[in-house]
Amino acid sequence: MSTREDLKTAIINGKRKDVKTIIPELLEAGETPVDLLEKAMIPAMSAVGEKFKNNEVFVPEMLVSARAMKEGMKLIEPALIEAGIKPKHTAIIGTVEGDLHDIGKNLVATMWKGAGFEVIDLGVNVPPAQFVDAIKTHQPAIVGLSALLTTTMPSMKTTVAAIREAGFDTVKILIGGAPITQSYADEIGADGYAQDAGSAVDAAKATLGAA
Amino acid sequence: MPSSYAILACDVFREELEELCRRTPTCKALRFLEMGLHDQPKLLRERIQEALSQIEADPSVEAIALAYGRCGNGLIGVTAGRCPLILPQAHDCISILLGGTERHAAILKENPGTYFYSPGWVREKRVPGPDREEWLRNLYADRYPDDNEMIDDLVEADAETFAHHNCAAYVAVTDNPTARDYCRNCARHLGWNHRELDGDPGFLNALVHAQWDDSRFLHISPGHRIAANGEGRLYAQGHRP
Repeated sequence: MSTREDLKTAIINGKRKDVKTIIPELLEAGETPVDLLEKAMIPAMSAVGEKFKNNEVFVPEMLVSARAMKEGMKLIEPALIEAGIKPKHTAIIGTVEGDLHDIGKNLVATMWKGAGFEVIDLGVNVPPAQFVDAIKTHQPAIVGLSALLTTTMPSMKTTVAAIREAGFDTVKILIGGAPITQSYADEIGADGYAQDAGSAVDAAKATLGAA
Repeated sequence: MPSSYAILACDVFREELEELCRRTPTCKALRFLEMGLHDQPKLLRERIQEALSQIEADPSVEAIALAYGRCGNGLIGVTAGRCPLILPQAHDCISILLGGTERHAAILKENPGTYFYSPGWVREKRVPGPDREEWLRNLYADRYPDDNEMIDDLVEADAETFAHHNCAAYVAVTDNPTARDYCRNCARHLGWNHRELDGDPGFLNALVHAQWDDSRFLHISPGHRIAANGEGRLYAQGHRP
């Protein structure tokens, strides 16, 4: 009989096939989908993020784990719907104009989905006006901006300014990416900063004032 | 201009700098650190700081010029010890090889899918192209012995990280037909466009010959450290109170 710990290990090791067999077993045994997400799957991705930070694994390993996580979420989603659990918040995410590097953005989107957010992913190289339009359409609680390059960091500043100028004063803006720091977030008027995908859920919740 | 200075450089510049330094007697020492450390900014910062301490242990060195840019912000926080530091106002090696951040930014604005190649990057054969997969397979064969499925997954995942790029751009400062052809071959292999950009040796020349004008170079006095503002401009920050 598989355990939550087995699920966590399978995600950390990027074993999609194992994830596909373990999740139905655990659901069948009475585990709730929320518990599987919060107590096994999200902690697994956080653990992978930690390994990456400590140079124990490289980007491809993190991506393989993320794929395993996504496979798992495909199996979890119907169980969430069946249990009547609805997304708590809507989030919009994208890499800023000029930046095509979406590894971090995709990881954060996966983590947020796992944490019960409805995530609208605008993709890469997103101009400020597109963020503004998406905010008008989807009325999110939070917007995530990602940049990998120092060449594209100024696009974050432009995007934050465009969102505020369009009158969206209350939507929370969270930024992240390898060169991003808290002081940069403060400087450009973002509401928060996530050091890595592993801390993006906590950072989003803290920004939203949600436990 | 100091009578004796050292250069601490990323190995990506080895070919360009060795050629330039050969004719510069005032350059006391040329030391290289491995390339690719910008992927781990904290590690890059530590390595640089460590190397600076070692270089300035030689009392005859009066200043240290860094052949680095912000490099994923790995240089942010680096502190000058006994010797003043000199750093190009640049994002990374590509800005330096292209002669400045403006040209670098303009090329990326025109096509954000540009992936830059230079002799240094080509030498390691880790750039996107036919040899990268082999390098990765060898790397992961040690880590995941007898798990070919995992290795295939990892190679596929690695290719995903370049999925949005569409152009291999070779930046030439030296005359290196092998590296140039290698880049063209990578583009063919990946189905990307290929372009050749004339590099501008001005930045590296000025660095090597101690022509460190304020418009292109940041000067960091002992005890001060490298910082960046929201516009991306580097500046020297004093001690925090």
